[in-house]
Amino acid sequence: MMHEDKFDRGSALTIFKSDRHEDLAALGLSLLIALLVYLLV
Amino acid sequence: MVYTQKTPWTLVMGIIMVAYAYMVQNGMMEPVIKFLNTGRHAGEMQTLGFAFGAVAILVGLWQVLAAPKEGQTDYYLSTVAGLMFIMLIAFIVKWGLDPLMAKWGREAQPALGFNFASVMNLNYVVMGILAGIIIVNVFKVPGWAENGVRLSRLGLKTGVILLGTLYSFAELAQLGKLSIVLIGVFVLGSVGLVLWIGARRKLPNSMTGVMSAGIGVCGVSASVAAAPVVQAKSTEIAYTIGTVLLFGVVCMFAFPIIGKALGMGYVQFGAWAGTGILNSAQVAGAALAFQPGGIETLKVAEIFNITRVLFLPIIVLWLALWYVKREVGAQQVDVTRVIVSKFPVFVLGFILMFLLSSTGIFAPARHYQGAYFDNSDKALVKKDRSGKEVNNYLKEADVETLKKDAEKVKRDDQKAALQRLIENKKVMSEDDDATLRGIINAKLMSKEGTAVLNKAHRAIRHTAAKIAMFRDLIAWFFTFGLVGLGMQITVASIKQAGGQPLVIGSIVGVIKAVGSLIVVMLMVSETV
Repeated sequence: MMHEDKFDRGSALTIFKSDRHEDLAALGLSLLIALLVYLLV
Repeated sequence: MVYTQKTPWTLVMGIIMVAYAYMVQNGMMEPVIKFLNTGRHAGEMQTLGFAFGAVAILVGLWQVLAAPKEGQTDYYLSTVAGLMFIMLIAFIVKWGLDPLMAKWGREAQPALGFNFASVMNLNYVVMGILAGIIIVNVFKVPGWAENGVRLSRLGLKTGVILLGTLYSFAELAQLGKLSIVLIGVFVLGSVGLVLWIGARRKLPNSMTGVMSAGIGVCGVSASVAAAPVVQAKSTEIAYTIGTVLLFGVVCMFAFPIIGKALGMGYVQFGAWAGTGILNSAQVAGAALAFQPGGIETLKVAEIFNITRVLFLPIIVLWLALWYVKREVGAQQVDVTRVIVSKFPVFVLGFILMFLLSSTGIFAPARHYQGAYFDNSDKALVKKDRSGKEVNNYLKEADVETLKKDAEKVKRDDQKAALQRLIENKKVMSEDDDATLRGIINAKLMSKEGTAVLNKAHRAIRHTAAKIAMFRDLIAWFFTFGLVGLGMQITVASIKQAGGQPLVIGSIVGVIKAVGSLIVVMLMVSETV
Protein backbone atom coordinates (compact mmCIF):
# COMPACT_ATOMS: atom_id res chain seq x y z
CA MET A 1 0.00 0.00 0.00
CA MET A 2 2.89 2.34 0.68
CA HIS A 3 3.92 2.11 -2.96
CA GLU A 4 0.39 2.87 -4.18
CA ASP A 5 0.33 6.08 -2.14
CA LYS A 6 3.78 7.23 -3.04
CA PHE A 7 3.62 6.79 -6.84
CA ASP A 8 0.80 6.50 -9.33
CA ARG A 9 1.67 4.06 -12.08
CA GLY A 10 -1.13 4.64 -14.61
CA SER A 11 -3.21 1.95 -16.25
CA ALA A 12 -2.80 -0.85 -18.78
CA LEU A 13 -3.12 1.74 -21.57
CA THR A 14 -0.82 4.47 -20.32
CA ILE A 15 2.09 5.09 -17.98
CA PHE A 16 0.46 8.32 -16.80
CA LYS A 17 -1.75 8.88 -13.77
CA SER A 18 -4.71 10.05 -15.90
CA ASP A 19 -5.72 11.03 -19.43
CA ARG A 20 -5.22 14.67 -18.45
CA HIS A 21 -1.61 14.00 -17.46
CA GLU A 22 -1.03 12.16 -20.73
CA ASP A 23 -2.54 15.05 -22.70
CA LEU A 24 -0.32 17.55 -20.90
CA ALA A 25 2.76 15.38 -21.51
CA ALA A 26 1.86 15.22 -25.24
CA LEU A 27 1.41 19.00 -25.27
CA GLY A 28 4.76 19.58 -23.55
CA LEU A 29 6.53 17.19 -25.92
CA SER A 30 4.92 18.86 -28.95
CA LEU A 31 5.94 22.35 -27.82
CA LEU A 32 9.50 21.14 -27.22
CA ILE A 33 9.63 19.58 -30.70
CA ALA A 34 8.16 22.74 -32.25
CA LEU A 35 10.84 24.82 -30.52
CA LEU A 36 13.61 22.51 -31.74
CA VAL A 37 12.29 22.56 -35.31
CA TYR A 38 12.01 26.36 -35.15
CA LEU A 39 15.58 26.77 -33.89
CA LEU A 40 17.40 24.03 -35.78
CA VAL A 41 15.72 23.51 -39.17
CA MET B 1 8.74 -1.40 -6.71
CA VAL B 2 11.65 -1.20 -9.17
CA TYR B 3 10.49 -1.30 -12.81
CA THR B 4 13.83 -1.44 -14.64
CA GLN B 5 14.61 -5.00 -15.65
CA LYS B 6 18.18 -6.20 -16.03
CA THR B 7 17.93 -7.06 -19.71
CA PRO B 8 20.64 -6.91 -22.36
CA TRP B 9 18.04 -6.36 -25.08
CA THR B 10 17.99 -2.54 -24.92
CA LEU B 11 21.75 -2.52 -25.45
CA VAL B 12 21.51 -5.09 -28.25
CA MET B 13 18.79 -3.09 -30.03
CA GLY B 14 20.89 0.08 -29.70
CA ILE B 15 23.92 -1.62 -31.23
CA ILE B 16 21.81 -2.98 -34.11
CA MET B 17 20.38 0.50 -34.83
CA VAL B 18 23.76 2.26 -34.76
CA ALA B 19 25.42 -0.50 -36.83
CA TYR B 20 22.67 -0.27 -39.45
CA ALA B 21 22.92 3.54 -39.64
CA TYR B 22 26.72 3.25 -39.95
CA MET B 23 26.43 0.70 -42.77
CA VAL B 24 23.96 2.93 -44.64
CA GLN B 25 26.30 5.91 -44.19
CA ASN B 26 29.28 3.98 -45.59
CA GLY B 27 27.42 2.55 -48.56
CA MET B 28 27.58 -1.04 -47.31
CA MET B 29 23.78 -1.33 -47.53
CA GLU B 30 23.68 0.06 -51.07
CA PRO B 31 22.80 -3.31 -52.74
CA VAL B 32 19.87 -3.82 -50.33
CA ILE B 33 18.73 -0.20 -50.70
CA LYS B 34 18.89 -0.55 -54.50
CA PHE B 35 17.08 -3.91 -54.42
CA LEU B 36 14.26 -2.50 -52.29
CA ASN B 37 14.34 0.94 -53.95
CA THR B 38 14.51 2.72 -50.58
CA GLY B 39 17.08 5.37 -51.51
CA ARG B 40 14.69 8.16 -50.50
CA HIS B 41 14.76 6.86 -46.90
CA ALA B 42 18.59 6.76 -46.67
CA GLY B 43 18.74 10.07 -44.80
CA GLU B 44 16.25 9.10 -42.09
CA MET B 45 17.81 5.63 -41.80
CA GLN B 46 21.00 7.33 -40.66
CA THR B 47 19.48 10.08 -38.51
CA LEU B 48 16.99 7.87 -36.70
CA GLY B 49 19.37 4.91 -36.48
CA PHE B 50 22.10 6.96 -34.82
CA ALA B 51 19.74 8.96 -32.58
CA PHE B 52 17.63 6.09 -31.25
CA GLY B 53 20.62 3.72 -31.20
CA ALA B 54 22.68 6.11 -29.07
CA VAL B 55 19.85 6.54 -26.53
CA ALA B 56 19.27 2.77 -26.43
CA ILE B 57 22.97 2.07 -25.85
CA LEU B 58 23.19 4.59 -23.00
CA VAL B 59 20.02 3.39 -21.27
CA GLY B 60 20.91 -0.25 -22.01
CA LEU B 61 24.28 0.17 -20.29
CA TRP B 62 22.55 1.82 -17.32
CA GLN B 63 20.07 -1.06 -17.12
CA VAL B 64 22.82 -3.68 -17.16
CA LEU B 65 25.40 -1.95 -14.96
CA ALA B 66 23.48 0.23 -12.49
CA ALA B 67 21.29 -0.80 -9.60
CA PRO B 68 18.18 1.39 -10.02
CA LYS B 69 16.29 2.48 -6.94
CA GLU B 70 12.54 2.87 -6.73
CA GLY B 71 11.43 6.26 -7.97
CA GLN B 72 10.46 8.34 -10.98
CA THR B 73 13.82 7.96 -12.80
CA ASP B 74 13.54 4.17 -12.63
CA TYR B 75 9.88 4.23 -13.70
CA TYR B 76 10.22 6.55 -16.68
CA LEU B 77 13.53 5.10 -17.90
CA SER B 78 11.96 1.64 -17.78
CA THR B 79 9.83 2.72 -20.77
CA VAL B 80 12.87 3.20 -23.02
CA ALA B 81 13.32 -0.55 -23.70
CA GLY B 82 9.73 -0.89 -24.97
CA LEU B 83 10.02 2.35 -26.95
CA MET B 84 13.09 0.95 -28.74
CA PHE B 85 11.32 -2.37 -29.27
CA ILE B 86 8.45 -0.61 -31.07
CA MET B 87 10.83 1.60 -33.07
CA LEU B 88 12.87 -1.41 -34.19
CA ILE B 89 9.71 -3.11 -35.44
CA ALA B 90 8.67 0.14 -37.16
CA PHE B 91 12.10 0.39 -38.88
CA ILE B 92 11.93 -3.23 -40.09
CA VAL B 93 8.39 -2.79 -41.39
CA LYS B 94 8.88 0.65 -43.00
CA TRP B 95 12.32 0.16 -44.56
CA GLY B 96 12.16 -3.60 -45.17
CA LEU B 97 8.77 -5.29 -45.36
CA ASP B 98 6.85 -2.41 -46.95
CA PRO B 99 9.17 -1.99 -49.97
CA LEU B 100 9.62 -5.78 -50.23
CA MET B 101 5.86 -6.36 -50.47
CA ALA B 102 5.53 -3.51 -52.96
CA LYS B 103 8.26 -5.11 -55.10
CA TRP B 104 6.74 -8.60 -54.90
CA GLY B 105 3.30 -7.17 -55.64
CA ARG B 106 4.58 -5.51 -58.82
CA GLU B 107 6.56 -8.58 -59.91
CA ALA B 108 3.68 -11.01 -59.34
CA GLN B 109 1.17 -8.78 -61.14
CA PRO B 110 1.63 -10.31 -64.63
CA ALA B 111 1.09 -13.83 -63.23
CA LEU B 112 -1.76 -13.02 -60.83
CA GLY B 113 -3.46 -10.36 -62.91
CA PHE B 114 -3.52 -7.95 -59.96
CA ASN B 115 -1.06 -6.34 -57.53
CA PHE B 116 -1.69 -8.28 -54.31
CA ALA B 117 0.23 -5.80 -52.14
CA SER B 118 -1.93 -2.96 -53.39
CA VAL B 119 -5.24 -4.87 -53.31
CA MET B 120 -4.62 -6.23 -49.81
CA ASN B 121 -3.24 -2.85 -48.74
CA LEU B 122 0.00 -4.33 -47.43
CA ASN B 123 1.77 -1.10 -46.54
CA TYR B 124 3.86 -0.22 -43.48
CA VAL B 125 0.89 1.03 -41.45
CA VAL B 126 -1.19 -2.12 -41.86
CA MET B 127 1.82 -4.41 -41.43
CA GLY B 128 3.01 -2.45 -38.37
CA ILE B 129 -0.34 -2.84 -36.63
CA LEU B 130 -0.55 -6.51 -37.67
CA ALA B 131 2.99 -7.08 -36.34
CA GLY B 132 1.87 -5.61 -33.00
CA ILE B 133 -1.27 -7.78 -32.88
CA ILE B 134 0.71 -10.94 -33.72
CA ILE B 135 3.41 -10.18 -31.15
CA VAL B 136 0.98 -9.61 -28.28
CA ASN B 137 -1.37 -12.49 -29.08
CA VAL B 138 1.08 -15.15 -30.28
CA PHE B 139 4.42 -14.44 -28.59
CA LYS B 140 3.44 -12.00 -25.79
CA VAL B 141 5.17 -8.66 -25.34
CA PRO B 142 8.42 -9.24 -23.41
CA GLY B 143 8.20 -8.09 -19.78
CA TRP B 144 10.99 -5.52 -20.24
CA ALA B 145 9.03 -3.88 -23.11
CA GLU B 146 5.60 -3.65 -21.45
CA ASN B 147 6.05 -0.17 -19.96
CA GLY B 148 7.18 1.24 -23.31
CA VAL B 149 4.11 -0.12 -25.09
CA ARG B 150 2.01 2.02 -22.75
CA LEU B 151 3.61 5.07 -24.42
CA SER B 152 1.85 4.45 -27.74
CA ARG B 153 -1.16 6.68 -26.96
CA LEU B 154 1.25 9.48 -26.03
CA GLY B 155 2.78 9.07 -29.49
CA LEU B 156 -0.61 9.32 -31.21
CA LYS B 157 -1.65 12.37 -29.18
CA THR B 158 1.67 14.12 -29.88
CA GLY B 159 1.16 13.35 -33.58
CA VAL B 160 -2.31 14.93 -33.52
CA ILE B 161 -1.05 18.08 -31.74
CA LEU B 162 1.86 18.48 -34.19
CA LEU B 163 -0.55 17.99 -37.09
CA GLY B 164 -1.89 21.45 -36.18
CA THR B 165 1.22 22.97 -37.80
CA LEU B 166 0.22 21.73 -41.24
CA TYR B 167 -3.11 23.50 -41.74
CA SER B 168 -3.78 26.89 -43.22
CA PHE B 169 -6.79 29.05 -42.31
CA ALA B 170 -8.38 28.39 -45.73
CA GLU B 171 -8.14 24.61 -45.36
CA LEU B 172 -9.37 24.59 -41.80
CA ALA B 173 -12.31 26.83 -42.63
CA GLN B 174 -13.43 24.64 -45.54
CA LEU B 175 -12.84 21.31 -43.79
CA GLY B 176 -14.28 22.63 -40.54
CA LYS B 177 -17.62 23.59 -42.10
CA LEU B 178 -17.91 20.23 -43.83
CA SER B 179 -16.94 18.27 -40.73
CA ILE B 180 -19.37 20.09 -38.40
CA VAL B 181 -22.30 19.21 -40.66
CA LEU B 182 -21.29 15.59 -41.25
CA ILE B 183 -20.14 14.86 -37.71
CA GLY B 184 -23.12 16.68 -36.21
CA VAL B 185 -25.56 14.51 -38.12
CA PHE B 186 -23.77 11.20 -37.55
CA VAL B 187 -22.67 11.70 -33.92
CA LEU B 188 -26.04 12.91 -32.70
CA GLY B 189 -27.80 10.37 -34.92
CA SER B 190 -25.84 7.38 -33.66
CA VAL B 191 -26.09 8.45 -29.99
CA GLY B 192 -29.87 8.77 -30.43
CA LEU B 193 -30.07 5.42 -32.23
CA VAL B 194 -28.16 3.55 -29.49
CA LEU B 195 -30.39 5.11 -26.81
CA TRP B 196 -33.52 4.10 -28.77
CA ILE B 197 -32.40 0.50 -29.48
CA GLY B 198 -31.12 0.11 -25.91
CA ALA B 199 -34.53 1.14 -24.53
CA ARG B 200 -36.36 -1.24 -26.89
CA ARG B 201 -34.11 -4.15 -25.91
CA LYS B 202 -34.50 -3.24 -22.25
CA LEU B 203 -30.79 -2.83 -21.56
CA PRO B 204 -29.86 -1.07 -18.28
CA ASN B 205 -29.80 2.71 -18.75
CA SER B 206 -26.22 2.92 -17.54
CA MET B 207 -25.13 0.36 -20.17
CA THR B 208 -27.05 2.09 -22.97
CA GLY B 209 -25.75 5.51 -21.93
CA VAL B 210 -22.08 4.62 -21.87
CA MET B 211 -22.45 2.67 -25.10
CA SER B 212 -24.05 5.59 -26.93
CA ALA B 213 -21.07 7.80 -26.09
CA GLY B 214 -18.59 5.12 -27.19
CA ILE B 215 -20.34 4.39 -30.49
CA GLY B 216 -21.33 7.99 -31.19
CA VAL B 217 -18.36 10.15 -30.26
CA CYS B 218 -14.81 8.88 -30.11
CA GLY B 219 -14.64 5.39 -28.71
CA VAL B 220 -12.71 4.58 -25.59
CA SER B 221 -12.13 8.13 -24.24
CA ALA B 222 -15.80 9.05 -24.70
CA SER B 223 -16.93 5.91 -22.87
CA VAL B 224 -14.72 6.78 -19.93
CA ALA B 225 -15.86 10.44 -19.97
CA ALA B 226 -19.57 9.56 -20.09
CA ALA B 227 -19.38 6.80 -17.48
CA PRO B 228 -19.77 9.03 -14.37
CA VAL B 229 -22.91 10.83 -15.62
CA VAL B 230 -24.77 7.58 -16.30
CA GLN B 231 -23.20 5.84 -13.29
CA ALA B 232 -21.86 3.01 -15.46
CA LYS B 233 -20.24 -0.01 -13.84
CA SER B 234 -16.71 -0.98 -14.81
CA THR B 235 -18.02 -4.12 -16.59
CA GLU B 236 -20.29 -1.93 -18.74
CA ILE B 237 -17.36 0.29 -19.67
CA ALA B 238 -15.37 -2.85 -20.52
CA TYR B 239 -18.22 -4.16 -22.74
CA THR B 240 -18.32 -0.85 -24.60
CA ILE B 241 -14.56 -0.66 -25.01
CA GLY B 242 -14.51 -4.26 -26.28
CA THR B 243 -17.23 -3.50 -28.85
CA VAL B 244 -15.58 -0.25 -29.98
CA LEU B 245 -12.23 -1.99 -30.27
CA LEU B 246 -13.54 -4.97 -32.24
CA PHE B 247 -15.55 -2.81 -34.62
CA GLY B 248 -12.66 -0.34 -34.94
CA VAL B 249 -10.12 -3.02 -35.83
CA VAL B 250 -12.39 -4.43 -38.55
CA CYS B 251 -12.98 -0.90 -39.92
CA MET B 252 -9.29 -0.02 -39.78
CA PHE B 253 -8.43 -2.83 -42.18
CA ALA B 254 -11.63 -2.79 -44.27
CA PHE B 255 -12.07 0.96 -44.88
CA PRO B 256 -8.87 1.52 -46.93
CA ILE B 257 -9.60 -1.52 -49.13
CA ILE B 258 -13.17 -0.33 -49.77
CA GLY B 259 -11.96 3.26 -50.29
CA LYS B 260 -9.48 2.16 -52.95
CA ALA B 261 -12.01 -0.13 -54.63
CA LEU B 262 -14.43 2.82 -54.91
CA GLY B 263 -11.69 5.12 -56.21
CA MET B 264 -12.13 7.62 -53.38
CA GLY B 265 -9.87 10.67 -53.20
CA TYR B 266 -7.95 11.87 -50.13
CA VAL B 267 -10.62 14.30 -48.96
CA GLN B 268 -13.45 11.82 -49.47
CA PHE B 269 -11.67 9.01 -47.69
CA GLY B 270 -10.49 11.25 -44.85
CA ALA B 271 -14.04 12.51 -44.33
CA TRP B 272 -15.44 8.99 -44.37
CA ALA B 273 -12.84 7.50 -42.01
CA GLY B 274 -13.12 10.46 -39.63
CA THR B 275 -16.91 10.08 -39.50
CA GLY B 276 -17.46 6.33 -39.79
CA ILE B 277 -14.69 4.77 -37.64
CA LEU B 278 -15.39 4.74 -33.92
CA ASN B 279 -12.01 5.12 -32.23
CA SER B 280 -9.54 7.99 -32.71
CA ALA B 281 -6.41 5.83 -33.05
CA GLN B 282 -8.06 3.65 -35.66
CA VAL B 283 -9.10 6.70 -37.69
CA ALA B 284 -5.41 7.60 -37.94
CA GLY B 285 -4.53 3.99 -38.77
CA ALA B 286 -7.06 3.78 -41.62
CA ALA B 287 -6.08 7.19 -43.04
CA LEU B 288 -2.38 6.34 -43.10
CA ALA B 289 -3.10 2.87 -44.47
CA PHE B 290 -5.07 4.48 -47.32
CA GLN B 291 -2.24 6.91 -48.13
CA PRO B 292 1.00 5.61 -46.61
CA GLY B 293 3.21 7.83 -48.76
CA GLY B 294 1.62 11.14 -47.74
CA ILE B 295 -0.24 12.92 -45.04
CA GLU B 296 -3.16 14.62 -46.86
CA THR B 297 -5.75 11.95 -45.98
CA LEU B 298 -4.62 11.96 -42.34
CA LYS B 299 -5.04 15.75 -42.20
CA VAL B 300 -8.63 15.55 -43.42
CA ALA B 301 -9.49 12.55 -41.21
CA GLU B 302 -8.09 14.22 -38.10
CA ILE B 303 -10.14 17.37 -38.61
CA PHE B 304 -13.24 15.18 -38.59
CA ASN B 305 -11.93 13.27 -35.60
CA ILE B 306 -11.22 16.46 -33.65
CA THR B 307 -14.64 17.89 -34.54
CA ARG B 308 -16.12 14.67 -33.14
CA VAL B 309 -14.15 15.06 -29.90
CA LEU B 310 -15.44 18.62 -29.63
CA PHE B 311 -18.98 17.19 -29.57
CA LEU B 312 -18.12 15.33 -26.37
CA PRO B 313 -19.39 18.04 -23.95
CA ILE B 314 -22.75 18.17 -25.78
CA ILE B 315 -23.12 14.39 -25.56
CA VAL B 316 -22.15 14.29 -21.86
CA LEU B 317 -24.76 16.98 -21.14
CA TRP B 318 -27.41 15.13 -23.18
CA LEU B 319 -26.69 11.82 -21.42
CA ALA B 320 -26.80 13.46 -17.99
CA LEU B 321 -30.26 14.91 -18.68
CA TRP B 322 -31.44 11.66 -20.31
CA TYR B 323 -30.24 9.52 -17.39
CA VAL B 324 -31.71 11.69 -14.63
CA LYS B 325 -35.07 11.71 -16.47
CA ARG B 326 -35.17 7.91 -16.83
CA GLU B 327 -33.70 6.77 -13.51
CA VAL B 328 -35.95 7.62 -10.60
CA GLY B 329 -33.80 8.65 -7.65
CA ALA B 330 -30.64 8.88 -9.73
CA GLN B 331 -27.95 10.88 -8.01
CA GLN B 332 -27.37 14.30 -9.57
CA VAL B 333 -23.88 14.56 -11.06
CA ASP B 334 -22.02 17.83 -11.50
CA VAL B 335 -21.96 17.80 -15.32
CA THR B 336 -19.74 20.88 -15.63
CA ARG B 337 -17.15 19.24 -13.41
CA VAL B 338 -17.24 16.03 -15.48
CA ILE B 339 -16.86 17.98 -18.74
CA VAL B 340 -13.99 20.10 -17.42
CA SER B 341 -12.15 17.15 -15.88
CA LYS B 342 -12.59 14.80 -18.87
CA PHE B 343 -12.23 17.20 -21.78
CA PRO B 344 -9.27 16.06 -23.91
CA VAL B 345 -6.66 18.81 -23.60
CA PHE B 346 -4.67 17.51 -26.56
CA VAL B 347 -7.40 18.91 -28.85
CA LEU B 348 -6.66 22.37 -27.43
CA GLY B 349 -2.96 21.59 -28.09
CA PHE B 350 -3.81 20.98 -31.75
CA ILE B 351 -5.56 24.36 -31.94
CA LEU B 352 -2.64 26.06 -30.16
CA MET B 353 -0.17 24.55 -32.64
CA PHE B 354 -2.35 25.67 -35.55
CA LEU B 355 -2.42 29.23 -34.17
CA LEU B 356 1.36 29.18 -33.66
CA SER B 357 1.83 28.00 -37.24
CA SER B 358 -0.57 30.66 -38.52
CA THR B 359 1.78 33.38 -37.27
CA GLY B 360 4.17 32.27 -40.01
CA ILE B 361 6.99 31.07 -37.77
CA PHE B 362 7.31 27.69 -39.50
CA ALA B 363 6.63 28.74 -43.07
CA PRO B 364 6.05 32.04 -44.90
CA ALA B 365 2.72 33.38 -43.66
CA ARG B 366 0.99 33.00 -47.02
CA HIS B 367 1.79 29.32 -47.35
CA TYR B 368 -0.87 26.90 -48.48
CA GLN B 369 -0.44 23.30 -47.37
CA GLY B 370 3.15 24.11 -46.43
CA ALA B 371 4.06 25.40 -49.90
CA TYR B 372 4.87 29.05 -50.57
CA PHE B 373 5.50 31.26 -53.61
CA ASP B 374 9.03 32.35 -54.51
CA ASN B 375 10.11 33.16 -58.09
CA SER B 376 13.45 34.76 -57.30
CA ASP B 377 16.60 33.63 -59.17
CA LYS B 378 17.86 32.02 -55.98
CA ALA B 379 14.77 29.83 -55.75
CA LEU B 380 14.70 28.94 -59.46
CA VAL B 381 18.36 28.11 -59.98
CA LYS B 382 19.59 25.53 -57.52
CA LYS B 383 22.28 22.92 -57.14
CA ASP B 384 21.47 19.22 -56.87
CA ARG B 385 23.19 16.77 -54.51
CA SER B 386 26.17 16.30 -56.83
CA GLY B 387 26.67 20.08 -57.00
CA LYS B 388 25.32 20.34 -60.59
CA GLU B 389 23.31 23.47 -61.36
CA VAL B 390 19.59 22.92 -62.02
CA ASN B 391 17.83 25.75 -63.84
CA ASN B 392 14.04 25.73 -63.40
CA TYR B 393 13.26 28.57 -65.81
CA LEU B 394 11.23 27.39 -68.83
CA LYS B 395 13.31 26.23 -71.78
CA GLU B 396 12.91 27.52 -75.36
CA ALA B 397 11.07 24.31 -76.34
CA ASP B 398 8.62 24.85 -73.44
CA VAL B 399 7.98 28.42 -74.56
CA GLU B 400 7.31 27.24 -78.12
CA THR B 401 4.79 24.69 -76.82
CA LEU B 402 2.97 27.42 -74.89
CA LYS B 403 2.98 29.77 -77.93
CA LYS B 404 1.34 27.02 -80.03
CA ASP B 405 -1.42 26.54 -77.44
CA ALA B 406 -1.84 30.25 -76.63
CA GLU B 407 -4.69 30.80 -79.10
CA LYS B 408 -6.84 28.24 -77.23
CA VAL B 409 -6.94 30.59 -74.24
CA LYS B 410 -9.72 33.17 -74.65
CA ARG B 411 -10.15 34.93 -71.30
CA ASP B 412 -8.25 38.23 -71.04
CA ASP B 413 -6.77 37.62 -67.56
CA GLN B 414 -5.61 34.13 -68.58
CA LYS B 415 -4.15 35.43 -71.83
CA ALA B 416 -2.24 38.14 -69.96
CA ALA B 417 -0.85 35.71 -67.35
CA LEU B 418 0.22 33.30 -70.08
CA GLN B 419 1.89 36.13 -72.01
CA ARG B 420 3.87 37.17 -68.91
CA LEU B 421 4.94 33.53 -68.43
CA ILE B 422 6.12 33.28 -72.04
CA GLU B 423 8.06 36.56 -71.85
CA ASN B 424 9.75 35.92 -68.50
CA LYS B 425 10.01 32.09 -68.62
CA LYS B 426 8.71 31.97 -65.07
CA VAL B 427 5.42 32.63 -63.25
CA MET B 428 5.48 36.31 -62.26
CA SER B 429 3.11 36.49 -59.28
CA GLU B 430 0.91 34.49 -56.96
CA ASP B 431 -2.16 35.80 -58.81
CA ASP B 432 -0.69 34.68 -62.13
CA ASP B 433 -0.06 31.27 -60.58
CA ALA B 434 -3.73 30.99 -59.58
CA THR B 435 -4.86 32.15 -63.04
CA LEU B 436 -2.58 29.66 -64.81
CA ARG B 437 -3.87 26.87 -62.52
CA GLY B 438 -7.31 27.81 -63.86
CA ILE B 439 -6.09 27.08 -67.41
CA ILE B 440 -4.81 23.68 -66.23
CA ASN B 441 -8.03 22.79 -64.41
CA ALA B 442 -10.18 23.84 -67.37
CA LYS B 443 -8.04 21.57 -69.62
CA LEU B 444 -7.78 24.29 -72.25
CA MET B 445 -4.37 23.30 -73.56
CA SER B 446 -2.84 20.20 -75.14
CA LYS B 447 -1.27 17.55 -72.90
CA GLU B 448 2.19 19.00 -73.63
CA GLY B 449 1.05 22.56 -72.90
CA THR B 450 -0.50 21.50 -69.60
CA ALA B 451 2.72 19.70 -68.65
CA VAL B 452 4.69 22.92 -69.23
CA LEU B 453 2.25 24.91 -67.07
CA ASN B 454 2.59 22.32 -64.31
CA LYS B 455 6.37 22.54 -64.57
CA ALA B 456 6.22 26.35 -64.26
CA HIS B 457 3.96 25.99 -61.22
CA ARG B 458 6.28 23.52 -59.49
CA ALA B 459 9.27 25.79 -60.11
CA ILE B 460 7.85 28.66 -58.03
CA ARG B 461 6.12 26.65 -55.28
CA HIS B 462 8.46 25.52 -52.53
CA THR B 463 7.83 23.35 -49.53
CA ALA B 464 8.98 25.03 -46.33
CA ALA B 465 11.81 23.02 -44.72
CA LYS B 466 10.24 23.28 -41.27
CA ILE B 467 6.87 22.04 -42.54
CA ALA B 468 8.58 19.14 -44.33
CA MET B 469 10.29 18.25 -41.05
CA PHE B 470 6.97 18.36 -39.19
CA ARG B 471 5.44 16.03 -41.82
CA ASP B 472 8.21 13.46 -41.32
CA LEU B 473 8.02 13.70 -37.52
CA ILE B 474 4.23 13.37 -37.52
CA ALA B 475 4.39 10.27 -39.73
CA TRP B 476 6.87 8.68 -37.30
CA PHE B 477 4.83 9.55 -34.21
CA PHE B 478 1.78 7.90 -35.80
CA THR B 479 3.81 4.88 -36.90
CA PHE B 480 5.13 4.45 -33.36
CA GLY B 481 1.66 4.90 -31.87
CA LEU B 482 0.01 2.48 -34.26
CA VAL B 483 2.54 -0.34 -33.83
CA GLY B 484 2.12 0.09 -30.06
CA LEU B 485 -1.66 0.20 -30.51
CA GLY B 486 -1.46 -3.18 -32.27
CA MET B 487 0.31 -4.52 -29.19
CA GLN B 488 -2.66 -3.44 -27.05
CA ILE B 489 -5.27 -5.24 -29.19
CA THR B 490 -5.53 -8.52 -27.35
CA VAL B 491 -8.03 -11.29 -27.98
CA ALA B 492 -9.02 -11.00 -24.30
CA SER B 493 -9.96 -7.30 -24.63
CA ILE B 494 -12.02 -7.97 -27.77
CA LYS B 495 -13.78 -10.92 -26.10
CA GLN B 496 -15.16 -8.42 -23.57
CA ALA B 497 -17.64 -7.22 -26.20
CA GLY B 498 -20.01 -10.22 -26.39
CA GLY B 499 -23.81 -10.32 -26.17
CA GLN B 500 -26.23 -7.43 -26.45
CA PRO B 501 -23.64 -4.59 -26.48
CA LEU B 502 -21.93 -6.20 -29.49
CA VAL B 503 -25.23 -6.58 -31.36
CA ILE B 504 -26.29 -2.97 -30.74
CA GLY B 505 -22.79 -1.61 -31.38
CA SER B 506 -22.53 -3.52 -34.64
CA ILE B 507 -25.96 -2.43 -35.91
CA VAL B 508 -25.32 1.26 -35.19
CA GLY B 509 -21.65 1.05 -36.26
CA VAL B 510 -22.60 -0.45 -39.65
CA ILE B 511 -25.39 2.10 -40.18
CA LYS B 512 -22.94 4.91 -39.36
CA ALA B 513 -20.21 3.53 -41.65
CA VAL B 514 -22.52 2.85 -44.60
CA GLY B 515 -24.56 6.03 -44.11
CA SER B 516 -21.46 8.24 -43.94
CA LEU B 517 -20.02 6.48 -47.02
CA ILE B 518 -23.13 7.29 -49.05
CA VAL B 519 -23.23 10.91 -47.87
CA VAL B 520 -19.50 11.42 -48.50
CA MET B 521 -19.68 9.90 -52.00
CA LEU B 522 -22.64 12.10 -52.88
CA MET B 523 -21.65 15.36 -51.23
CA VAL B 524 -17.89 15.60 -50.75
CA SER B 525 -15.67 16.64 -53.63
CA GLU B 526 -11.90 16.74 -53.84
CA THR B 527 -11.61 20.50 -53.83
CA VAL B 528 -10.21 21.52 -50.49
